[in-house]
Amino acid sequence: MILTPKELFERQSEFTVIDVRPKSQQNEFPMDGIDAIISKEGLIQKIEGKKVLVCQFGIVTEGMIIEQNLKDTFSLLGGAQAWIEFQSEKEDLSQWSRQTVLPEFGLEGQKKLLNASVAIVGLGGLGCPVSQSLVAAGIGKLILIDGDHVELSNLHRQPLHGMNDIGKKKVHSAKKSLTHINSITHIECVEDYIDESNGLGIIQKCDIVIDATDNIQTRQLIDQISKQSNVPMIYGGLYRWEGQVAVLNVNGSPGYKELFPDPPSGEETCADAGVLGMLPGIIGNIQALEAIKIIVGIKPDLMGKLLIYDGKNHSTQIINI
Amino acid sequence: MIKIKVKCFSQVKYALGVDEFVIELNAGTSASELEQKIRSEAGGKLDGISLRIAVNQKYMPNNIELNDGDEVAFIPPVQGG
Repeated sequence: MILTPKELFERQSEFTVIDVRPKSQQNEFPMDGIDAIISKEGLIQKIEGKKVLVCQFGIVTEGMIIEQNLKDTFSLLGGAQAWIEFQSEKEDLSQWSRQTVLPEFGLEGQKKLLNASVAIVGLGGLGCPVSQSLVAAGIGKLILIDGDHVELSNLHRQPLHGMNDIGKKKVHSAKKSLTHINSITHIECVEDYIDESNGLGIIQKCDIVIDATDNIQTRQLIDQISKQSNVPMIYGGLYRWEGQVAVLNVNGSPGYKELFPDPPSGEETCADAGVLGMLPGIIGNIQALEAIKIIVGIKPDLMGKLLIYDGKNHSTQIINI
Repeated sequence: MIKIKVKCFSQVKYALGVDEFVIELNAGTSASELEQKIRSEAGGKLDGISLRIAVNQKYMPNNIELNDGDEVAFIPPVQGG
């Protein structure tokens, strides 16, 4: 069983709090605002009533409770790290403890994510997994842009939309599903296709624009706006078993025009060429991963590069643009 | 003669029916001359489709001269999403 820092704060009189961390960690990261007793051999089993165990990140204690079959015992989600943050900022970030424990990410990364806004152009095969992962990760704001309606043939690869959504605008159907995942994210819907009249106004308000469209003309338009507004663009594209991802226009790094300079010609869409739902799931999640790296301040490895993934044999190729 | 490894992506893969192959060319052959061979091999299936050329995993101008042992990739833009 787990307890969040907020729950512990509100109900602390119900629990005995036991700090199981090594002494050096207790000294370095003291848990102010709560009376915690220091764990000793056999102590936990002797204490009656409800107990909360605290380790540094809330992972060790979850394991202890299961392994030792401890009754009436809770693990503090996010551990001392989340408690200290809650005490100082009155903000409970324990929901994301499994990502804040990553040294490159940390609480600072989570705060950056909670303050970031991302525009997603297209709520189809790629837009569904991108938005789903960003919302679950705790992105602050999403602007969803798509004028399309949900069709039966979309459902195999667009899991934010269901049978009851057929005929509805994709942005509204997606927003409804995303709100179930995490209501913290502020979601704005633009129920139109992006064009020259509305694009700049939307994208320049964001930290990143995700290209999850299904046609080259729109990719070229997003590229122009991304360059003009200096908002990085994360490109994803699909052809049958293959997917492409590139991080474009980061402070003057190559854009879509440098990636594919020619005007669109006879290329096929997913509807023409066919696609399994798992491929946009993989490619969309790589786009979301690169977006999070930029927001948190980790160098996006696909900046100035084109990743090509083949779902048939799982080979990847990275091309320097 | 020089030996070149050709890697095919997206429509190129389907047009030629292979992921990759090795081809022997005259020394001094350019990437665009190799592209013409690929297009004629595809028998019209690549007509109207623009291709980017990467040599040894790096985008290169089409007129670059190929060297023995080079890996040449032909990459079309893709629409789907």
